[in-house]
Amino acid sequence: MDRRTHVSRRTFLKGAAATGALAGVGSLLDFQPVHFRHAQARTDISTEVFQNACPRNCYDTCAILTTVEDGVIKSVTGNPKNTYTRGRLCVKGNSYPRIVYSPDRIKYPMRQKGRGSGNWERISWDEAMTEIAQKILDIKKEYGSTLPICLNKYSGNFNLLNYGIEGMMSSIGYTSRAAGTPCWPAGIDAQTFDFGTIWNNDPEEMVDSKYLILWGVNPAWCAVHSMQIVLEAKKRGCKIVAIDPLFSQTAVKADLYLQIKPSTDGALALGMCRYILDNELYDGDWLVRNAKGYEEFFGYLKNNITVEWAAEKTGIPAKVIENLAHEFASVKPAGIWIGYGMQRHTNGGQNVRAIDALVAMTGNVGIPGGGARYAHLETWGFNYHAMVHSPPAGSLGDGDRLINMNNFAAEVLAADEPPIKMLWIACRNPMAQDPETSVMQKAFEAMDLVVTVDQFMNDTVKMSDIVLPCTTLFESPGINVSYWHHWMNLNEQAIAPMYEAKHDVEIAMELSKKLNELEPGSCSFPTDLTMEEWLANEFNAGIYQLFGINDWRELKSKGPVKAESLKVAWQNGRFRTPSGKYEFWSEEAEKFGHHPLPVWVEEYKAPEKYPFRCISPHWKLGIHSQFQQTDWMEQINDKPFVEIHPNVAAQYGIHEGDNVKVYNDLGYVIVPARITTATSKDCVVVYEAWYKDKNFNINYTVKALPADMGSKATGMPGIAFHDNFVNIEKV
Amino acid sequence: MKGQLGFLVDIDKCIGCHSCEMACKNQNQLDPEIRWRIVYPMKGNSSVPTERCFLSLACNHCEKPECMRVCPVRAYTKLENGIVFHDKNRCIGCRMCIMACPYQVPQFNSNTKKVEKCNLCAERIEQGLNPFCVDGCITDAITLINFNEFNEIKAEREIEGFPNPNITNPSVRFIPYKPGVQIRRDV
Repeated sequence: MDRRTHVSRRTFLKGAAATGALAGVGSLLDFQPVHFRHAQARTDISTEVFQNACPRNCYDTCAILTTVEDGVIKSVTGNPKNTYTRGRLCVKGNSYPRIVYSPDRIKYPMRQKGRGSGNWERISWDEAMTEIAQKILDIKKEYGSTLPICLNKYSGNFNLLNYGIEGMMSSIGYTSRAAGTPCWPAGIDAQTFDFGTIWNNDPEEMVDSKYLILWGVNPAWCAVHSMQIVLEAKKRGCKIVAIDPLFSQTAVKADLYLQIKPSTDGALALGMCRYILDNELYDGDWLVRNAKGYEEFFGYLKNNITVEWAAEKTGIPAKVIENLAHEFASVKPAGIWIGYGMQRHTNGGQNVRAIDALVAMTGNVGIPGGGARYAHLETWGFNYHAMVHSPPAGSLGDGDRLINMNNFAAEVLAADEPPIKMLWIACRNPMAQDPETSVMQKAFEAMDLVVTVDQFMNDTVKMSDIVLPCTTLFESPGINVSYWHHWMNLNEQAIAPMYEAKHDVEIAMELSKKLNELEPGSCSFPTDLTMEEWLANEFNAGIYQLFGINDWRELKSKGPVKAESLKVAWQNGRFRTPSGKYEFWSEEAEKFGHHPLPVWVEEYKAPEKYPFRCISPHWKLGIHSQFQQTDWMEQINDKPFVEIHPNVAAQYGIHEGDNVKVYNDLGYVIVPARITTATSKDCVVVYEAWYKDKNFNINYTVKALPADMGSKATGMPGIAFHDNFVNIEKV
Repeated sequence: MKGQLGFLVDIDKCIGCHSCEMACKNQNQLDPEIRWRIVYPMKGNSSVPTERCFLSLACNHCEKPECMRVCPVRAYTKLENGIVFHDKNRCIGCRMCIMACPYQVPQFNSNTKKVEKCNLCAERIEQGLNPFCVDGCITDAITLINFNEFNEIKAEREIEGFPNPNITNPSVRFIPYKPGVQIRRDV
């Protein structure tokens, strides 16, 4: 789309000379020649604009326009045709040119002599593929199957074509697979029990809300385009309430901020429900038509919940809870955005169910501007052609072996008959992002071969034997959708791959070729498709119908498209639960070991030795291990820190900038103190991220403690990242 | 366009996300160490913690620019539209302007050995476009204003942390942060 060739790019000076914009001083003639020289040097440059799609694990999943001059990216901006992106990119998106052209990129395949030694040597793609393929064949010979080979791949790039890595693994036989998702599964299960699946209203229609509770979510950092929508709603008269244990950037902008005790969100929601019940502010008609088990839920509230109890649990005064409940139930449409942070607890799923119940009993489900907004996968119905492949004929075994991604290190070490001997890591940095880093270290050390595909020398690459360089989103085509907004963005190849980088699916084809060369028939992964063919194979009639197109190539001229029919979730009242109704009473929940009702489950409490809850939320200058490491970001902030409440700091003799050891039985991290009232006296905050060349990783202290839910929808429970307890000391 | 162009910065809308700053860097292809626009954290108080309220500043295109007054080689020009235009080609990197500017706006580029700063996207202004930072701001917190027509009563000339505007009369105005109701546990 919008490809054009510039023959002359007007410089400021030419414009200024034409309009006489320069004031006085007589300097025009003095420096004009310099500018003309500059302008003339650029007259024959070809400029093209490409569509790109930000593939990060982020609500916003932006549509990008990339300006390329003579094959080099000059700038990126948001695509205005995507009305969610609104022509603007976040700080991370704006830094993409520096990611592509970072001198730190991994440029060619390398082999490390001694994991963690830093003793790397350049090897050719052929050498790399030969060594890896030979190892795969050796393992198969020694163990009789490919189960000792384990793939850990997840959210570093959500381009649909990146699922080709899973496809390649399936094509060599049955393997071990990191299964589950660390981020959000407790909430997914909660909503699956209540609604049948996750499905949120179009975030762009949040502007129509009259009352909006942002519950444990920080869009000002983690979904900036939605924060703009929230502020627009506020301008139009919607009351914005933020509930968060931390005084987040989002909370600072709210009309009302409630600093709740961590992990007690369910108590607040249930207390509000009790008030609404007692004052008959619930939507009886909606409940009769749409809900199953609300009588039982009301009975539970009457017998177990009081507003005073909720006040005691949450630290929010009873009067405030009553006012909040009264306001929420008296205005329509009223909606709640449920964040992922608030479900990273051992009672996180139950807390989400309680909030869902609050939205449902006030009749705010299925209406524009309302909803219990969490996430959706409604636009993800692609073919997964790159992902789904059958093992070669004669493969032994009866299926892949699932390794819990959320307790990956321990399960890799414990795997037996056969043990795990080889890791393939793609789109992930488990050494930095997973809990129990010390155990992860041991798991890596126990391997015969670790292969990591990445762009930068991160902690996982440092613990690998072979690293393979992969392309950035600008160097390979693809297609992206969001788990929040309802757009589909085409990703065009804007520039040639840098150095020797390849896309994951190209790597998969290379490996397949090599395997079949060494042992014919050993890999069934296709080797003869072009990237465009891989892309075309992902589309189907359902996707075309949902997005109102007839062929994916239309996106090249049309730009991003939106699934308009998904706008209001559950508007037709046909829920995907077993009963077809909204289920306050869920037998499915009971089957998975939970109470069938949204009930209060006690929060995980601080042990005596470790009195501080260490919350490790996302950081605004990065997403997990991506972006914070570039020099552009380092100019804004180049060091991690721990946020400590002033009273606690005084008690421990800690001053601003002092090095603080944050520790527990599992490990420790030493970081400078930032003393702030943004946190409470019982919480310290360390934002998770990967910093280049810094000995920093908060996950040394994080235990692989499961959240209460996640097993139904994602196969594994989530991680209670925010039930991490530590002590601190000045060092 | 004649008059005095400048910025209106709505601190109440600003979420400190640095998108403006990075849009400037990306679109103007700045060297890594150079920041024409900087999002500064403001000091906290009883209603807002430090690092939760921000002041996004670029060149303030002052009415009486000190940078221009002290420059020995006339690298600075005050344009008819009020932009304080710095010409890199004339700059000798003496850094006099860096010392003179009350807002620490001009920056020394150690690669080019010259100073550089925000020219308010003068080329874009000529084309009737907004500066990149204005178009890049996610929450519409930065607006391009012409002081000849500007008449916003909520806008303030001074704000805590911003140097005394009486020295150079900077072309920037601020809308202050308005806190909501806060129920906080440990304050």
